Amino acid sequence: MQKVVSISLNGNSYQLEEPGYEQLHAYLERAEARLRDSPDRAEVMADLEQAVGEKCRAMLSPHKTVVTSIEVERIITEMGPVESADEKPAGAMDDGAPKSASSYPGYQPRKRLFKIREGQMFTGVCNGIAAYINVDVTWVRIAVALLTVFSGGGLFLAYLVLAFIIPYAETAEDRAAAFGMPFNTEELISRAKKNFEEFGQQYRWRREWRRQQRHWNRQFRHMNEQLRAATAHAGPMVGQSARVIGGIFVVIAALIGALFAVALVLALFSLVTQQSVFGFGLPHGMPLWIAILVLVGVYIAISTPLRMIRHGGHASGYHPGWGALHSLMWIGFVVLLFWASYTFFPGVRELVDQLMWAANLTATTISETIV
Amino acid sequence: MDNISEKLAPIRKGLLEFVILKIVAADKVYVADILKLLSPTQFATQEGTLYPLLSKLRREELVDYEWQESEAGPPRKYYKLTPKGRTQLATLNDYWKDLNRTLAEFGN
Repeated sequence: MQKVVSISLNGNSYQLEEPGYEQLHAYLERAEARLRDSPDRAEVMADLEQAVGEKCRAMLSPHKTVVTSIEVERIITEMGPVESADEKPAGAMDDGAPKSASSYPGYQPRKRLFKIREGQMFTGVCNGIAAYINVDVTWVRIAVALLTVFSGGGLFLAYLVLAFIIPYAETAEDRAAAFGMPFNTEELISRAKKNFEEFGQQYRWRREWRRQQRHWNRQFRHMNEQLRAATAHAGPMVGQSARVIGGIFVVIAALIGALFAVALVLALFSLVTQQSVFGFGLPHGMPLWIAILVLVGVYIAISTPLRMIRHGGHASGYHPGWGALHSLMWIGFVVLLFWASYTFFPGVRELVDQLMWAANLTATTISETIV
Repeated sequence: MDNISEKLAPIRKGLLEFVILKIVAADKVYVADILKLLSPTQFATQEGTLYPLLSKLRREELVDYEWQESEAGPPRKYYKLTPKGRTQLATLNDYWKDLNRTLAEFGN
């Protein structure tokens, strides 16, 4: 079943299958762009529309009311690339001959490899490849997973490279092209450059953010000093209670941090020995080293804010202001995550219960020995 | 052979306008007719090239068109040569003959 789009070409309506419509739309858009500087643009566009309309009509009959995508593709190939007649033929232009599709990189309804967001799992690379080779995306994913295992992770690197150099299909035109010649080397290189620049900008952004953070920290410390000076005058009680709150934060953060460190060690241990984390097997096809990296990455992501609280607690115990609120939110988030995994994942629950049991046991043992 | 065909592509492109003037001079034609006439020749081309070219020729007042009802579908543009186009075609014919003569003078 295909969705049908109704279009009007020079005042006559036609029904096209949606991918066909997108291809035609892209073709006419390219034509218009090509004729941008031509004084005859409007006229030629009308002529082209009419020609397309006539070809569409030739495809229709009383019992066939919709022009299929394949037919649209044939029509576009028949029409050929639109070129402005006003361009002075440069010596190198090889036009006028009967054209093969391949001699016209810019103007055929050509197929291109795109990342496709709709239904993507990670970056849309598999999705794009599936559209490109016209198979179901599940098969591509299975193939990628299997090849990743057999290549010992080498394919994963290839995947990363692909994720970098393949552009996302952003426009209707791109999406049409995603389903409809490989992109040439020149384009590939320029695309990779562009994406790399974007990545660089992201990276720069992050660096900028860190700089800003340091700046805030300085300001914070400065404010603390001022506050300390002020509280020294105002009365030691205020400073005292703030210090207690700050101290509690530090302790809580340290406890949670330690808990996570223990969890990381346990997780790494079970990952290496049983290929599973808290009862979860590795996602199919994921090599062990990637799982370890992911685990460590997750740990760093969770523990960094905790560490910040601990350090912040020492430096800014006086001022439970914005920084403390930020930390609180992080703790809240971690607790929420913890609660969610405890509630929904039996593996986690089991592990936590075991840990609790072990902790209880330790505590009773200690208290018994003391008593 | 393909190589030669490629080498001479710019020449064919340049000559396409000349060829179209010749076709339009012979009879009132519609774009599909022109394409059909050209398709078995070295000058085979497509709508994407022909429409912009015809529009340019019309802007230069070398051809003109009139709408004619067709038995199937909307009216079509039928192209014919203008007096100015006829003069241009004569000049081009002369120039082409000159070119051929020059080529012949250099021997075989």
